Amino acid sequence: MARSTSKDAQALFHSLRSAYVATPSSLKIIDLYVGFAVFTAIIQVVYMAFVGSFPFNSFLSGVLSCVGTAVLAVCLRIQVNKENKEFKDLPPERAFADFVLCNLVLHLVIMNFLG
Amino acid sequence: MAKFLLYITLTISLLPFFAVSFSPESPIDRRVLVLLDDLAVKSSHSLFFDSLKSRGFELEFKLADDPNIGLQRYGQYLYDALVLFCPSVERFGGSINVASIADFVDSGHDLIIAADTNASDLIREISTESGVDFDENAAAMVIDHTGYAVSNTDGDHTLIASDDLIKSDVILGSKNIEAPVLFQGIGHSVNPANTLVLQVLAASPSAYSANPQSKLSNPPSLTGSAISLVSVIQARNNARIVVAGSLSMFSNRFFRSGVQKAGSSTKYQKSGNQEFLTELSKWVFHERGHLKAVNVRHHKVGESDEPAMYRISDDLDYAVEIYEWSGTSWEPYVANDVQLQFYMMSPYVLKTLSTDKKGLYSTSFKVPDVYGVFQFKVEYQRLGYTSLSLSKQIPVRPFRHNEYERFLPAAYPYYGASFSMMAGFFIFTVVHLYSK
Repeated sequence: MARSTSKDAQALFHSLRSAYVATPSSLKIIDLYVGFAVFTAIIQVVYMAFVGSFPFNSFLSGVLSCVGTAVLAVCLRIQVNKENKEFKDLPPERAFADFVLCNLVLHLVIMNFLG
Repeated sequence: MAKFLLYITLTISLLPFFAVSFSPESPIDRRVLVLLDDLAVKSSHSLFFDSLKSRGFELEFKLADDPNIGLQRYGQYLYDALVLFCPSVERFGGSINVASIADFVDSGHDLIIAADTNASDLIREISTESGVDFDENAAAMVIDHTGYAVSNTDGDHTLIASDDLIKSDVILGSKNIEAPVLFQGIGHSVNPANTLVLQVLAASPSAYSANPQSKLSNPPSLTGSAISLVSVIQARNNARIVVAGSLSMFSNRFFRSGVQKAGSSTKYQKSGNQEFLTELSKWVFHERGHLKAVNVRHHKVGESDEPAMYRISDDLDYAVEIYEWSGTSWEPYVANDVQLQFYMMSPYVLKTLSTDKKGLYSTSFKVPDVYGVFQFKVEYQRLGYTSLSLSKQIPVRPFRHNEYERFLPAAYPYYGASFSMMAGFFIFTVVHLYSK
């Protein structure tokens, strides 16, 4: 078994980065969007840890709107990825329409629960 | 015919004036049936009876085996109280028996039982029903070789001078009874588990219960201050009972007799009997220590109408008026220990009511953050006083959907996150569609 060094880690990181450069830009935009949602969720959790869980329904709806957005975006990314053979029969337009519809339902529920 | 009609109308219109009897407006007893073994008791105990008559009681004297006596007629009680001065009766005449006396007390009427040495089984049975047990030995008397009353002849020390009285102003009056109380008769014991029975006059620690004629072969069954000479019982329905082990303590002879307790140099001109038994009879006939609670009110702070239900964390006011019967009128009752419970299986709120010294007790508190069916409860039990037990049911509901607070500053980050997600969704949609 070879010993792992910092050089290996650098090599791994480098190969990951070079592979990601090859990713289509439409998927990169989705990744950015997911990152934004997860970051917002983390900020709210940290805020709740300081302030307390008093308007708990507001906290839940705030965090769940971020989590739900992230999950739906990940689903969209899986479906529109051309290298994914599982959804090769599903047109990307259909995938996007599903994404929009689910988001509308999600935000309707969030608005109701926000208090 | 017209004359007949006139009579009928007159009779009916006068009917309310004939019906002078126990009413909640004045709780004291009026008509008292006194059952005697021997009509001579009527004159030998006349001081006691006269003090009752002078306080407005109508005494009806009957022999205990009179075949015409009865406590009720047509389902109505004829008397408000019963005095049993018949220690040796084996069977009552008429319709009176142990069960009918128990029913009499169960329906809230009062009873005085005076037993004596050789008390009959019937009297013992009635006492047992009331919660006290007389010494089973029929010939037993209470003997006290240190606490006896000094007399000219050195007797068998069965005439006891006892000053071990219960310390209760409401039972024995606020005036201190200084002279010892003379007692000659049988002792009884009260069950310590029974909280309704109280020893009013206890024997001294050196007393015991045995037959004074025979030699003491076995240890006596009742000894010391566990021997009760006079006990009172207040039932849960506020009926009151006095059980005395001596009939002679009510007699004129004991009332007038001077007393000197053995080992004490003070000689009293008059025994404490008259004062003690008069005060005790005032208590047992509800001339003292009778409370009533009226006018229970509760409402939200700042409102005056009584709501059908409260919401959680409402602020409410509660008030009740408590009066004490003074013998002639209802006087405000003043105490600082009346408590209110806001109760649902256990008290969620327990508050001491504050009084304005005019009978009004009030408090205010916040309804707890729990919804369900609650009760306002006042359970007031004090030594000698009639017990008060008020409860009033009141439901407590949670917030309605539109009663929650909105737009809390603390929740602004969550609102912001939700709306930024919506904006982000819109921007992402545009970018996703036009970035080919």
